[in-house]
Amino acid sequence: MNSAGPNIYLEAWLLPLLSFVFLVLGGKRWGKTGAYVATGAIVCSFLLSCWGLFTYTQEFSPDFFQERHGEETPRPLKPEDIVLPPGLAATSVGGAVQNTGPEIQYRPGDNRPNAQSPTVQIGEHGRWSQSFKWIGIGAESIRMGLYVDSLTVIMFFMITLIASLIHIFSIGYMHEELHDPVHDPLAVPAGQPPLHRKGRFPRFFTYLSLFCFSMLGLVLADNLFLVFMFWELVGLCSYLLIGFYYERQSASNAANKAFITNRVGDAGFIVGLMIVWTSLGSFNIQDLIHTVRDFSGHMVRKDTNSDKLLEWNQHKSAWLPADDSHESSAEAHYAPGDVQLFDIKTGQPHTSTTITYLLLTVAGIGVFIGCVGKSAQFPLHVWLPDAMEGPTPVSALIHAATMVAAGVYLVGRFYAFFTPDALLVIAYTGGITLFIAGTIAVVMTDIKKVLAYSTVSQLGYMMLGLGVGGWAAGLFHLLTHAFFKALLFLGSGSVIHGTGTQEMPQMGGLWRLNKMPITAVTMLIGVLAICGIPLFSGYYSKDAIVADALYFWHGDGSAGSGHPQHILLFLLPTAGAAITAFYMFRLFFLTFAGEPRDHHVDEHAHESTAVMWVPLAVLAVFSVIVGYEYSQESHTPLLTRMLLFSKPHTILPHPPDAIHHQAGYYALAAVLSGIGMSVLFYGAPVFWIWFLKYFRVLNPGEVARQFPRLHDFLLHKWYFDELYERILIRPTLAIAQFCRSFDWNVLDAFIDGTARVTLWWSRLDGWFDFRVIDGLVNLTSDWVYATGDWLRRFQTGQIRQYVMFLAVGAIGLFAVISFLGADVLRNLLVK
Amino acid sequence: MGFVIATVQNQTMNIELTSVLLIGAVMFVCGVVCMATKRNAVGILIGAELVLNASNLNFVAFAYYTPFGIDGQAFALFGIVLPAAEAAIALAIILNFYNNHMTVDVDRADELKQ
Repeated sequence: MNSAGPNIYLEAWLLPLLSFVFLVLGGKRWGKTGAYVATGAIVCSFLLSCWGLFTYTQEFSPDFFQERHGEETPRPLKPEDIVLPPGLAATSVGGAVQNTGPEIQYRPGDNRPNAQSPTVQIGEHGRWSQSFKWIGIGAESIRMGLYVDSLTVIMFFMITLIASLIHIFSIGYMHEELHDPVHDPLAVPAGQPPLHRKGRFPRFFTYLSLFCFSMLGLVLADNLFLVFMFWELVGLCSYLLIGFYYERQSASNAANKAFITNRVGDAGFIVGLMIVWTSLGSFNIQDLIHTVRDFSGHMVRKDTNSDKLLEWNQHKSAWLPADDSHESSAEAHYAPGDVQLFDIKTGQPHTSTTITYLLLTVAGIGVFIGCVGKSAQFPLHVWLPDAMEGPTPVSALIHAATMVAAGVYLVGRFYAFFTPDALLVIAYTGGITLFIAGTIAVVMTDIKKVLAYSTVSQLGYMMLGLGVGGWAAGLFHLLTHAFFKALLFLGSGSVIHGTGTQEMPQMGGLWRLNKMPITAVTMLIGVLAICGIPLFSGYYSKDAIVADALYFWHGDGSAGSGHPQHILLFLLPTAGAAITAFYMFRLFFLTFAGEPRDHHVDEHAHESTAVMWVPLAVLAVFSVIVGYEYSQESHTPLLTRMLLFSKPHTILPHPPDAIHHQAGYYALAAVLSGIGMSVLFYGAPVFWIWFLKYFRVLNPGEVARQFPRLHDFLLHKWYFDELYERILIRPTLAIAQFCRSFDWNVLDAFIDGTARVTLWWSRLDGWFDFRVIDGLVNLTSDWVYATGDWLRRFQTGQIRQYVMFLAVGAIGLFAVISFLGADVLRNLLVK
Repeated sequence: MGFVIATVQNQTMNIELTSVLLIGAVMFVCGVVCMATKRNAVGILIGAELVLNASNLNFVAFAYYTPFGIDGQAFALFGIVLPAAEAAIALAIILNFYNNHMTVDVDRADELKQ
């Protein structure tokens, strides 16, 4: 059964790559045309992804338009769930598509009896997958492939939509880069004339195209190795775009910081990859998940003390003895502490590979550390605020909506692989992150820094939601957050473009009709959405996370349910909701409300052009509407239902409606108190004069003076940078210094010494050669010469003299022979 | 020398080798003295002929007392023919020398030493 689906996504994915190639080859000459090429490519991708979404819903009888209450009782595997590939299909489940391509797939646990054996896959509703052999390593191979389920479809839709809007926005925002030369006052120390450089308009869009390609590849990839490749590619694009104004020292530092911090996370990722490959022999995400979970999604392990098989019970949050169905002949194969692995073909426990529970946890946490780096979670969150040195559309696209959410996406995609302990680590990391980032955002004055910390905080929310079992809630928040945070960033970009400053204390009063009313209204929508005001999308997603957290802590009230010791996991997001509301309204009041504080900035302020405010308006609409149910019967938001259509192969807790309502009240109360505080602090100019008279008891400056140490602590971002400077950078530099001095004083000295000895020896050798060898040769020649010179005197040319010599010589010879005797001569001759 | 060969059976003891060698030696010394003392190139040539003929005489004399057949006589024939050619060349050189220097004084002919 062939489907157009995978091809649609393949084309939508490759279009930005095509645009990237064109821009790399000819972008410099094109100027503004380059932007249209990139924008056209991504808009086409968006249209294709709409078509893909349509095809998907058509093909898989979209039952997410109805409520699915299957979460508590996971669907047991039925025979018809096993789907044979085309040509071998005896039974075919409606909607399940196997598009395995020309090659037979190899799956882990399959001991490959022969290559012709048909591939049997566990049929799952609503996915397209397609793969081919990519790299062969001995008998093993790494496959490359697409995996499209409802999560991919939605992520793809979100990424292409936001990327399209941001491309359009950038045409307006980056307009300055079309000038030649561009004046950059920030690239030089204050007081000096601005730097003149060439405009980089096409380059910006080149990077954006590459980013879109990589990001879309990341959500399409079906295996961890491929994910890792695109993971690095988006990291590269992020680096290039943070350092877009690389003449500015701060931008170049920020780019390096982002890159290096991400490498720390990637080291963890690689550890995870190595464990996964060596222990389980595959990178395919779905294979891995189905290997470590049984058919109903339970994780089964052997007790460390007894031979009992234990099964994780999410409801009671404990390892309980497994039911008899797991008792099998394979049992004896596992050592105590091993996780039971399942053959993905048959679903039976399989015996060829083992992995201990600890190693599985470490593998999960390793992959999660990669996500910590990419999604700027504590303790690697420090790069994201600095990444705001990049152009604002980049902050919106990469550092708010898509790339930083990739970590959350991967945790969601790989969800069933994480052991309960790994999930707890994820939850606490998220909780700590959301609180720390929220408190820092309260005191920031740079509008983009506030939004950056807000992003970190919201990413913490998502991680926490995923960690406490709210798979759909976390990813739902990812999607809603992508829309409203892109909106907020583009709004702030519009403000920065209009006012020429990023400092909120210099703004104020921008909502007046002759200043920036459209930006103000759209920003207000974004602020309401992120705070979690009912009827805006953020309310639904944040409420879902708080509900899951509450359910995780409190359980359903029955004995033994819930995790009373993990109360922090409920308190942190609730407090975080209040803090979020506080700082977002503070941002809004400081920027748009009240009287202008800086005359110069106010004069400069103007509403942006249509190419910039239209994307704002579109995003504002999406920020409102994506959270609704769109159904008469269901109380679950449509996006959640769509996500659950491809829910992970695990047991997800399903908080009852009562918990949802309760959490909703808590969250709303927290949000309202946060807004109230914000109004008390900063809202005075907005609410009439009587308010000022009776209620304005809180002056932010005075409060800051009241708690100087706390204020300093927050202003210095919890001293994270200083801490890292102390414990990492300085020791590293000290080691580097030591190595340098070792190199200089020992290694170089040794080499220099060797050189000196060699030189000295060469001199000696040269002297010997010159004086002794050459001297001997010269002496011989001198002697020969002198002899010849002496003999020359006998050649007089006097023939009579020669005759005399001849005669005397003959006589002499004769005399000698006579004297010595004839025997001597005879001996001489006869011999 | 002819009669020596003709009377070889009876008169062997009459003419001794010593006598012949003595004549040869006298001729040789005369030739050498002639070469060493004459400044005239032709005189030197004559001295050389004397020396050569002394040696020819020795060849023939020794040949008589050695068992090598007529080798000595053959050498003597060469010793006659070659100086004839040599004399022709030498006289040509002398003539040319005379044409160039208007003299046959060998002391004036020392250009070959250079």
